[in-house]
Amino acid sequence: MKYTQLGEFEELVLLIIGSLGENAYSISIKEEFKRHTKRNPSIGALHSAFNRLEKKGFLESYEGGATNKRGGRSKRFYIITAYGRKALDDSFELRSTLYHSLPQLGLSE
Amino acid sequence: MNGSKQYRPPKWPDKLLSWFCHPKHIDIFRGDVYELYQDRRENGSKLSADLRFFFDILGLCRPYAMKDHRIENSNNISMFKNYFKITYRNLLRQKVYSFLNLSGLAIGLACSILIFLYVQDELSYDRFHEKSDRTYRLLEHFQDEGNGEHSASQPFPAGPTFQSEYSDEVAYAVRLFNFQSPSLALANKESDKAFNESRVFFADSTFLDVFDFKLISGSRETALDNPNSILITTSMARKYFPDEDPLGKFLELQGIHNLKVVGVLEDSPKNAHFQFDFIISFSSLKPWFGGAYPRSWYWNPCWTYVVLEKNVTKDQVESRFPEFVDKYFPGFIKEHVTLELQPLTDIHLYSNLDYEIEANSNIDSIYIFSAIAFFVLLIAAINFINLSTARATKRAREVGVRKSLGSSKSQLIKQYIFESLFMTFLAMVFALIIVAVFLPAFNLLTEKGVSFSFLLQPNQLLLLGGITLVVGLLSGFYPAFVLSSFQTVSVLKGAHLKTSGLNFRKILVTIQFSISICLIIGTIVAINQLQFLMNKDVGFDQENIVMVPVIRSPMGQHYENFKTTALQSPRITSITAVEEIVGAKHQVGNYQFEGMDESKAYARFNMRHDFAKTFDIPIVAGRAYDYNIQTDDSLALVVNETFVKSMNWGSPQDAIGERFYYQGELRGQIVGVVKDYNFVSKHRPIAPLVLTLNSRRGAFNLFIKYVAVKINSADVEASIADIESAWKSVMPNMPFDYFFLDDTLNDSYKAERKLSNVTIIFSVLTILVACLGLFGLATFSVEQRTKEIGVRKVLGISTPQILSLLSKEFLLLILIAFVVAIPVSYLLTQQWLNGFSYRIGIDVWPYIVSGLLTFIVAFLTVAYHSLKASAINPVETLKYE
Repeated sequence: MKYTQLGEFEELVLLIIGSLGENAYSISIKEEFKRHTKRNPSIGALHSAFNRLEKKGFLESYEGGATNKRGGRSKRFYIITAYGRKALDDSFELRSTLYHSLPQLGLSE
Repeated sequence: MNGSKQYRPPKWPDKLLSWFCHPKHIDIFRGDVYELYQDRRENGSKLSADLRFFFDILGLCRPYAMKDHRIENSNNISMFKNYFKITYRNLLRQKVYSFLNLSGLAIGLACSILIFLYVQDELSYDRFHEKSDRTYRLLEHFQDEGNGEHSASQPFPAGPTFQSEYSDEVAYAVRLFNFQSPSLALANKESDKAFNESRVFFADSTFLDVFDFKLISGSRETALDNPNSILITTSMARKYFPDEDPLGKFLELQGIHNLKVVGVLEDSPKNAHFQFDFIISFSSLKPWFGGAYPRSWYWNPCWTYVVLEKNVTKDQVESRFPEFVDKYFPGFIKEHVTLELQPLTDIHLYSNLDYEIEANSNIDSIYIFSAIAFFVLLIAAINFINLSTARATKRAREVGVRKSLGSSKSQLIKQYIFESLFMTFLAMVFALIIVAVFLPAFNLLTEKGVSFSFLLQPNQLLLLGGITLVVGLLSGFYPAFVLSSFQTVSVLKGAHLKTSGLNFRKILVTIQFSISICLIIGTIVAINQLQFLMNKDVGFDQENIVMVPVIRSPMGQHYENFKTTALQSPRITSITAVEEIVGAKHQVGNYQFEGMDESKAYARFNMRHDFAKTFDIPIVAGRAYDYNIQTDDSLALVVNETFVKSMNWGSPQDAIGERFYYQGELRGQIVGVVKDYNFVSKHRPIAPLVLTLNSRRGAFNLFIKYVAVKINSADVEASIADIESAWKSVMPNMPFDYFFLDDTLNDSYKAERKLSNVTIIFSVLTILVACLGLFGLATFSVEQRTKEIGVRKVLGISTPQILSLLSKEFLLLILIAFVVAIPVSYLLTQQWLNGFSYRIGIDVWPYIVSGLLTFIVAFLTVAYHSLKASAINPVETLKYE
């Protein structure tokens, strides 16, 4: 299988972006990440991940939604590409296959 | 966020963001951090929000978000290629200018490199010993109301006693001894090679523990442990044992004492404060003193060095010296003796004591040389600045074109600084070539052995690179500034350019010539002072006196025989024998005159009959020592005029008959007073002096070191042959050796001679460099005014008028420089001269000479151009108008 180069952090970010749908931009992703994992990623780390994911073709972005709070600057919204979705599927499949091949400790005997 | 307040985050992290990040990211990033900031301010303190704002921004500054600098860089590189090309073309196009500029700078750099090498070498003295930082020489100051001595050497027992007294503090102690004799005779009997050697020392077995001289063969541990052992240097091994292994062979000392060669040392390093050829084990000395070392604490002939333990400071030991002196030194000198530890590494540059092993150098000359190096370099750099700015007009059009094509001022500055760095680099290469060529001559002049390869070590190369950079930047900065500030439109229109920076340039030229004039004055004063020191007016006759070293030779038994035989020759006028070289050295003795409670130390000089006659020293009162008066040997003294004055005895006549104690009784008398003469070099004033007759045979073991023979000046060689045949008639087996007194005395002023030689050379070079600069400036000033001269010629100006028109400006500058230089050089030379007891007054003529010299050289330089300019046909210069 072709190695998709999806790191743990990247995978989580990608999943969160998918789950947020239309409202996925840096701050909301940060909040969501924090809510699910109790980890608080820095804004720098997130942007660096977005940049990598976009380069790999898993993400697309568009700008918009300027608010006062941002001093009138736009947000950059992210959406998953089909290729990104496939990478998530591949990763899930790989993990569940491997998971099912685990010996059923304790229960079978 | 309606109604909610807008918080302002701190500005400077934001600036970091815009400096670092690519524009395509900035807005999004900034929006994000602003939004986070607002949230945090709603819920927390300002400080924590500010801090987290800063860290967020720091976190955003990652490589992927960086501005792309590559485009700018590649442009820079191609621009540098262009700068290089332009530099190269200018270099070739303006050949005269380039030559002047480069040669001036190269000479300046070469001078400073040479001086740097010299200074470096001077500072390196005695630092090659591993323990040099804790090695000290033990000094004895013996001062009794201004008389006495500052001795570099110690009594025989001092070294070992010192070590046992301070066994916790002192790691090693070593004594060096050479009978205070100018030379000792050594011979390889087997091959019949016999020479008088001057660099022979007796040394304790710790010699190689204290000093890290390299032993080539033999055992380092046991080398000097046994009596009758000798270490020789490689060149001496070649001299005495040309074709054989010297180890285990024998050398004969003074014709009686056999010494076994137990090791070969590398030749003594030139940067050590004493030079040696032979080291003899100290225990070999015992037979010379009747089986044991001398126990006297009065006679101090041993140079004593100690190595302190690692954690011991000099002060710790020195604070205990008074009790040491009290415990060991004899009662009658105890109160006047102080001891001192002198760091080994200070000896060469700071030490000028009595009984130094060799004359040392002087820290003052290091300062003077460094100052000269700095000034030569400064003058060369000023030349560079002047020439570059002067020719700025020639390149104004280039600047205009560059500017109109979009070159920024900073780029132009970069270009010209690059150019000056490049030129400096070239000059440095030439300078190194000059240094390589002239280093042997320089070494000869300064009596050094510095090799060129020293400069090729990494840290030296780095230093040279550093000098290039500093000189290049300093001298490139001002021209770059001037050139880049031209107005684009006016230079392109070809409008008449005001030569900007003329005033600044005038100041620089004035500085240059002030320095040159100061150097010339300094040189003249230094030469005069040297002449003054070396002139023969020392109160005794030093010409045609042949000195024959005789210490520890059998001369004691044969002296009278030798004297009678030699005096039969018509070419020999008079003979005497003396303790030290007259006019260079003396010893110290204690005397007690009538009315004194205890004895006092005076400069003392042992000699034989006919002393005053041989050296032509007038007797002002009384008589000289007489062969026919038996008691003269111990019960009579001759003193000098200063002595009479210091005792307040009135006139020399009144001094005759004054009595002194001899062996506890008031039996001796003063029988004569000689006219004052300089019994040491003119570095010191004349002190009270006692001349004692010592006619005992044993005197030649210690108190008489030379026979002095006054010869007839007509035929020197025959006279010396006569002395030698008289010598051979009494001592056929001893090598005969001699030197001329005046040659040796001239050596006392070696340091001054070296100083004046070096200053002459470098001040000539400085003036040369300054004139190169003036020549260049005059070239451009004439070129600028060709049209003016053309018009004036049409209107009938004469050549002398052109000359005065063009030279007026420069000569005025030199006049100002002269006025500035006078007080400065007066103060500096005055200060230098104050270091001498015998010094010249400051005359007016060095000032006049230096002023005239500079004036004439500058005038000739400018005149050359004026004449050239006046020879041009005005049609040539005006036809374009």
